Amino acid sequence: MDFAAFLLTQCVNALSQAALLFFLGVGLTLIFGIMRIVNFAHGSLYMLGAFVGYTLVRLTGNFWIALLIAPVLVGAFGGVFEYAILRRLYRRDGSAFLMVTFGLALMLGDGIRLLWGSEALQVPLPDVFSGVVFLLDEPFPSYRLFLAAAGVIVAVTIWQFLERTRLGLLIRATSQNAEMVHALGVDVRLVRSAVFGIGCALAAVGGVLAAPLVTASLGMAATVIIDAFVIVIIGGMGSFLGSLIGALLVAFVQVFGNYYFPDLALAFMYLIMLLVLVVRPGGLLGKEA
Amino acid sequence: MRPFLAMAAILALMPFGLPPYAMTLLTEALILGLTAMSLDLMVGYTRLISFGHAASYGLGAYTSGWLLLHTDFPVLFVVPLAALFAGVVAIGVAWVCTLATGVSFSMLTLAFAQLLYAVAFKWTSVTGGSDGLAGIPRRAGPFGMTILSTKSGFYYFVLACLLGAFLFCRSLVNSPFGAVLRGIRENEAKTLSLGYNIRAYKIAVVALSYGLGGLAGALYAPFAGFANTELLFWLFSGQVLIMVIVGGSGTLVGPVLGAAFFMLAEHWLSSYTEAWALFFGLIFIGFVLFAPEGIFGVFSTRLIRRARPVG
Repeated sequence: MDFAAFLLTQCVNALSQAALLFFLGVGLTLIFGIMRIVNFAHGSLYMLGAFVGYTLVRLTGNFWIALLIAPVLVGAFGGVFEYAILRRLYRRDGSAFLMVTFGLALMLGDGIRLLWGSEALQVPLPDVFSGVVFLLDEPFPSYRLFLAAAGVIVAVTIWQFLERTRLGLLIRATSQNAEMVHALGVDVRLVRSAVFGIGCALAAVGGVLAAPLVTASLGMAATVIIDAFVIVIIGGMGSFLGSLIGALLVAFVQVFGNYYFPDLALAFMYLIMLLVLVVRPGGLLGKEA
Repeated sequence: MRPFLAMAAILALMPFGLPPYAMTLLTEALILGLTAMSLDLMVGYTRLISFGHAASYGLGAYTSGWLLLHTDFPVLFVVPLAALFAGVVAIGVAWVCTLATGVSFSMLTLAFAQLLYAVAFKWTSVTGGSDGLAGIPRRAGPFGMTILSTKSGFYYFVLACLLGAFLFCRSLVNSPFGAVLRGIRENEAKTLSLGYNIRAYKIAVVALSYGLGGLAGALYAPFAGFANTELLFWLFSGQVLIMVIVGGSGTLVGPVLGAAFFMLAEHWLSSYTEAWALFFGLIFIGFVLFAPEGIFGVFSTRLIRRARPVG
């Protein structure tokens, strides 16, 4: 394999990895921006998305229907959870959210085990993307290429949504000054429910998309949540663009680190996070916390 | 002082009444209680929310495990040495982490803990990698003293460490040093303007807290006979933080109760139902909604209400 082909395949590989991480990170950062909640259950919602997606694929035989419906269901679940529980806690300190989201993570993990069993479940690749494509004459799984493209599309969509729609405007305004938005006659509580729901739905998108690659399993939450945290911390908590940069950085470090320094790749990620925080305590694009 | 002595006496009598199996549980509960109490110095008294307390525990456990496996030191020497090591490392950690405040501080502590986790995972020649260190002995001595290698003897050792740490922490938080910590908790800017070097105070309290957390970890390794990467994982940091909050932060005793509750509830639930985590999660959410002041808070308000009738 010549070097150009190697570089290209590894880069696309990293981009597809970044896309999966971004789906998690962006939800996490939006939720933090609006509610100051560090959502420990985010990995579990991603896992829930994967399992719901599995069932939908089994029922309908169509991956795309699952990709469409599973996020809606998980998002609705998130919205209801915000409405029923989190809403009561906004006047309390952060430890209340820590416990509630940690509790939710435990409940989801166990609930999923009861409903789906503890076996890892294989989700088949969608037919269109089950083959390989040739990048500079190197075979490359087309599903990963699709993931990279999906990441770009979703990132642009969210960006345009935040910049150009009324709800996007309200979300940005609420993250800057919730009281002022409230004083201007907007029901901030609805914005919060919506953002929590959207964040959960995005996690579920990530879960459904990851399922064909890694199978839907009970371990997937714990491994992925810490990556998502790292992304959000590096990028700056509450910053959309930051989560994008963080996802790219972490994915490239993981992919190339695993290739060149397999022993140090894991530590690299945390070292970068430490370095960023020491230089900019609020993260690359975050406000000083 | 009286409730403290009563509690100490009850705990000291436990080995005479409880079956060996229950003693194992109780010993572990006390070790976890010590961990939670050490974190309370930061969380409850200084409002330095650490998401990385597993770092101290794991550091203590790996250090004591390594020393017991590779040297001839007896447990009695190894445990304080490991705690000291964790405390000294914490000075460096704290120096970096206290550059930030608030959520960023929490995230930095998390980053350090995960970095240690990554190191423990990969530095196989010293840490045993994903297998961890196994077969850690409770080595007897010095001078032919064998009590610490027995189960109940080790229990007393753990109990002594917990009680000693409690007395130390209590006098610490009641001292002028503790008053400055509470000042930082209530109003950092004001404490700074009163002329206190708050960064130095923060570093000191983090070092002490990690030192005591390291003590707990150092006890755990010879107790369990192993040390693995799970002791350094962020999940454990989260659990310890929850023990502190469930028990009641800023009370020292509360977190110990929280840890005992956490362990016993997990054990009890898992013996009744396979879905223990489901109920565990429910309990957390219930606590937040209905008992925000924690176990200790619930107890003490009930007791005070009984002692002083409303009127």
